[in-house]
Amino acid sequence: MTDLRVSGVEKWLGGNHILRGASFEASRGSITALLGASGSGKTTLLRCIAGLEQPELGRIDIGGTCVLNGEEGLALPPEKRNIGLVFQSYALWPHRTVFDNVAYGLTLRGITGRDAELRVFGILQKLGLSHLAERYPDQLSGGQQQRVAICRALVYQPRVLLMDEPLSNLDAKLREDARYWIRQLILELGICAIMVTHDQSEALAMADHILLLENGVIVQSGTPMEIYSQPESFYAADFLGTNNVLLGKLAEGAAIGGDDWQLRGVRRGQVTGGLGESARAVVRTERIRIVDGPGDNHLEMQLDACLYLGSHWEYRLTRGGLAIKAHGDQPLPPGPVWCAIAPESVWIFG
Amino acid sequence: MSSTARLQPRAEMRGYRLAVIAALVLFVMTPVGLIIYQSFLDAPFFDKTSRFSLEAYDYVVTDPEFWSAFGTTAIFAFGMVAVAVPLGALLAFLLTRTDLAGRRWLEPIVLVPMFLSSIVLAFGYSVAVGPSGFVSLWLKETLGLRLWSIYSLGGMILIGGLSHVPNVYLYVSSAMRSLPSDLEEAARASGASIWRVSLDVTLPMVLPSLIFAAALNLLLGFETFGIPLVLGDPSGIVVLTTYIYKVNGIFGTPTYHVMAVVAVSLILVTLPLVYVQRLLLRNARRYAAVGGKGARAAPLRLGASGQLIAWGLIGLWLTVSVLMPIGGISVRAFVNAWGEGVRLSDHLTVSHFAQLMETPSLFRGILNTLALAVIGGAFAVAIYLMIGLAGHRNKGPSGALLDYMVLLPRALPGIIIGLAFFWVFLFVPFLTPLRPTLVSLFVAYLIVGLSYGLRIIQATLLQVAPELEEAARTSGASMARSWRDVVVPIIRPGLVGAWSLIMIVFLREYATGIYLMGVGTEVMGTLMVSLLTSGAMDQIAALAFLSIIFTAAGLGLALRLGARIHD
Amino acid sequence: MTSRRSFVAGSLAATAAFSTSRFAFAQSLPAGYPADYAALIAKAKSEGRVAIYTSTDESQGQPLVEAFKQTYGIGVDYNGLGTTDVYNRVISEGAAGQMGADIAWTSSMDLQMVLAQKGLLETYVSPEAPNLPAASLYKNIVYGTSIEPVAMLYNKNLLKPEWVPKTRAELVKLLQEHGKELKGKIASFDPEKSGIGFLLAQTDLASTSSFWDLAKAFGAAEGKVYGASGAMREKVVSGEQWLAFNVIGSYALQWQRESPVVGVSFASDYTAAFQRVASVTKGAPHPAAGRLFLDFMLSERGQSLLASKGVPPLRMGYKGPLDADEMNKLTGGNMKIIPVDEKLANNMAPRFRADFFQQWKKAMRGEG
Repeated sequence: MTDLRVSGVEKWLGGNHILRGASFEASRGSITALLGASGSGKTTLLRCIAGLEQPELGRIDIGGTCVLNGEEGLALPPEKRNIGLVFQSYALWPHRTVFDNVAYGLTLRGITGRDAELRVFGILQKLGLSHLAERYPDQLSGGQQQRVAICRALVYQPRVLLMDEPLSNLDAKLREDARYWIRQLILELGICAIMVTHDQSEALAMADHILLLENGVIVQSGTPMEIYSQPESFYAADFLGTNNVLLGKLAEGAAIGGDDWQLRGVRRGQVTGGLGESARAVVRTERIRIVDGPGDNHLEMQLDACLYLGSHWEYRLTRGGLAIKAHGDQPLPPGPVWCAIAPESVWIFG
Repeated sequence: MSSTARLQPRAEMRGYRLAVIAALVLFVMTPVGLIIYQSFLDAPFFDKTSRFSLEAYDYVVTDPEFWSAFGTTAIFAFGMVAVAVPLGALLAFLLTRTDLAGRRWLEPIVLVPMFLSSIVLAFGYSVAVGPSGFVSLWLKETLGLRLWSIYSLGGMILIGGLSHVPNVYLYVSSAMRSLPSDLEEAARASGASIWRVSLDVTLPMVLPSLIFAAALNLLLGFETFGIPLVLGDPSGIVVLTTYIYKVNGIFGTPTYHVMAVVAVSLILVTLPLVYVQRLLLRNARRYAAVGGKGARAAPLRLGASGQLIAWGLIGLWLTVSVLMPIGGISVRAFVNAWGEGVRLSDHLTVSHFAQLMETPSLFRGILNTLALAVIGGAFAVAIYLMIGLAGHRNKGPSGALLDYMVLLPRALPGIIIGLAFFWVFLFVPFLTPLRPTLVSLFVAYLIVGLSYGLRIIQATLLQVAPELEEAARTSGASMARSWRDVVVPIIRPGLVGAWSLIMIVFLREYATGIYLMGVGTEVMGTLMVSLLTSGAMDQIAALAFLSIIFTAAGLGLALRLGARIHD
Repeated sequence: MTSRRSFVAGSLAATAAFSTSRFAFAQSLPAGYPADYAALIAKAKSEGRVAIYTSTDESQGQPLVEAFKQTYGIGVDYNGLGTTDVYNRVISEGAAGQMGADIAWTSSMDLQMVLAQKGLLETYVSPEAPNLPAASLYKNIVYGTSIEPVAMLYNKNLLKPEWVPKTRAELVKLLQEHGKELKGKIASFDPEKSGIGFLLAQTDLASTSSFWDLAKAFGAAEGKVYGASGAMREKVVSGEQWLAFNVIGSYALQWQRESPVVGVSFASDYTAAFQRVASVTKGAPHPAAGRLFLDFMLSERGQSLLASKGVPPLRMGYKGPLDADEMNKLTGGNMKIIPVDEKLANNMAPRFRADFFQQWKKAMRGEG
């Protein structure tokens, strides 16, 4: 069942067109990530769904109820949308205990007393927080605060859970754990969750669905694997993964080349340029192999340096104006080497 | 895009906001409007024969006394700025950027003059450093020194300037606190002396706050009343406010139209200053927001001789602007004669205080003052909070209107606001029963204290992170509910601090009640002004002494409650 | 419950008995009072309060007020205001139909006369009227209540004994000849700020030929002007000023008793004396109580009570401290009492005032 339907949402701020017609759907038991660089409009879109910002055009339905309809002039305030929102800063109320923070949403829904207590302790227990119920937020660690914030947003079983950069305030180690348990929790409870993130690995690891935003437009949506391995635009290709961007001109047979080099590849995205026109190619670093000698789609390059990155080595390669990074599991001496790149890994845009 | 109708911004709490802002406009514009209306009549507005006329304007602009008062006021205001701004800046520098010994406990002390009403200060000075003041006499006897007269424009400027140093200090010190200290350290490391550093690095960085403080003090200088009344008037030095106060006597009939014209002329001067302040304030906020984070200043080292010089300067300033006036009042309150050839020990008495207790109006005045300050202060904070919430995160045009309504009373001296409310309570039928009650004074005080009070409240409200409110909204709380359950509980300590500060402001107020005072509405500050016309100096001194005690108690309370002192 | 109720009832009865006894005391009307005066008293009591706007210090008025409360059991709201404030209040409140005062009692005879002419004061034939000098009564509207000669107040330690003026002429001469030594050391009333100051200046102007000479010399000596006698007293006692003229004499005598440094001198050739005047206001909230208070002020008892605080009575036949004999002795018999009459209102003509102040300010600047 579709719990959230967003269609044609547009928002201006001052003269800026921040959202240009975002549309998507999401349903329970899944996580949808809004991924994009800062300024891409992802947080604004989330806040529009929450009702904290108001778009000028578009329509939003939550759980089958229309909460925003530009044509009818309808815009429900946040409290009427039956959502839960986890803030980047957690926004726990400093004057209330953990219990009171979590219980507030129930109080507002007329659930008090024993009933409320059961539900609050139920969710606190689930997240391992029940022993902290009487503490105040400033007596909690960052990870505990985050879990309280999630409890607070979930306790009254909202139709949609919205999370704004939920992991960005955690340190690296906690973050990796949180990716996992938050995903597990959402799947277990069967919630429709939307999260905003600028961190691709977070989106890839947690989401069932990724919406990639650029300048207020959803440029691509799909499963993490689709997004990662079948980018439909240069932006999408470049945004995810660690990449090499090669600048050159289009050549015969889906190839790109420079003054003294040429690589065959696949044309992706909208095909606009003809032969001889400038184009860009994106090659994921992990797709480049260092090989012993020439071959099909092999390129001879100069190895300038080798950087040790712990789990692997990074090679810095040049050929005239062309600079490429590649990975390998052993150090190599500087000097001429050969790079092998499969044509299906050279995504040519232009 | 398409022809579809765009959604209008959702107007939350629109009814509440509009109601509050409408009430505010009513309360602020009524006195202002009444004064402007009155200025275009040829007789008091309640006189049935009054007609529209520019007669009063004609009288005022052709009256050489007006122009001389105007000129004197301008000299006084600029002179005061010239004294207060450099001293305040220096004080701020020493207390915030250097390792001056004892600066922690000095801070509340340097603010004291700000909390004393200028009428109390002026009395204190005349007893201490007047021609027969105990300090003057002592200096004459021991050193053969003769102070120049404080009953001169120069003396008034000096006293006005010294007493306004804290107003400068407040702004400049907060700007200096947010300066990253590495800039100064870099300059010191490259060999600049501490004074060079302050001139070449610190000063340019805090220039906006200096300009703001100058504009504020210029405004206060134009509206000053107590100092010219006590020190200037006997020598015929008249400023605009005392001109207003006296203009009735010159005609022998109520010349409210002439008073109104002078008030309008004052507004014409002060309104641009208020506007400039508003502009500067916005910029200053932006400034503070950029540089404010993590700038934990490492203090500059003064060195032994530097400490000595700095302490000498601060000690001198404190002696002159705190010790002397307070000492003067304290002495005068306990003697019935003083001056040349009078041994104070022969004239010690507590009878002035006994008189305060025995004279019903004076005793009532003390009780009323306390009631207005303590209870009225609490109500005022509640009302300011309501106004503050109406403007809270309100980016619409009504928010801007509210801003201006709050600043407008700043442009009017308290005596004029009091006069306007006297008219309102006299002539608006359903309000007349309230005139002889403290309600009338409370309303006038509320408007006089509006911009100060609201600044404190707004600053407090800004400390609430927006997400905390949004979290309540997304949890299902309406905006009103989120204010009640989240905003107000979080700022409660700030509100208590605001209450203590408003309390002090109401305690020291004297000009507002001049026309509103009657049986049952006596207040200490205004009683002093009215006793001055009948010359009962003993009671004035006793009242002034009590007022200092109350103010000290209020300040102690404020500091204890951790109030953040703004102007 | 019952016991408490009976206690309340009992105390009520006691209060009633107490007030009847006071009523009985008041019943014994002084000679010359009409028989129906008891009705006025009863009405005043039912009004319960009386409100007074006055320029007289509360401390001076207090015995009178206390005695009035004692006698009639009527509360008194005593508003101590400046002379101009009494006037302005009555005018504004009269215009608003919100008169707050029952009695306007002020030293500013001229302002009171204007109030009378503007119809803001009530005509009331006081039973005490026959006991007042003719010059103290205007059309049964404005009643004089005291005779107040002005004096010169000086600091004995600072003003050379040979300089102490005994006459008006000596005062003028002193200022003219020793103006330099006395620079900033002379004080007087400010006619702009104080109604009484203006009245005295007008009287001096009309009754002496030396007024402008005095003003000029005063201005040249950088004389200081104050709104009240008390302010001048403060300055003379402290030595800021050495000599103050046109100070209210009754106060001056009081201060002389209090402070060893204060000397008082009355000019034997010419001493102006004004009267404090009182009237019942039109539209008074407590008209009967106001009338009662006015009569009480003028009664033998009221006048003695005023005298006890240094306010010289004017009631004919009064003997005691500050009686006519004493005042005449002090002033050498040359007291020029300003009569309560219509001419006072001339002082208020705007043209006249503007001209006067222009000349006054010129004189204060030491110019011709």
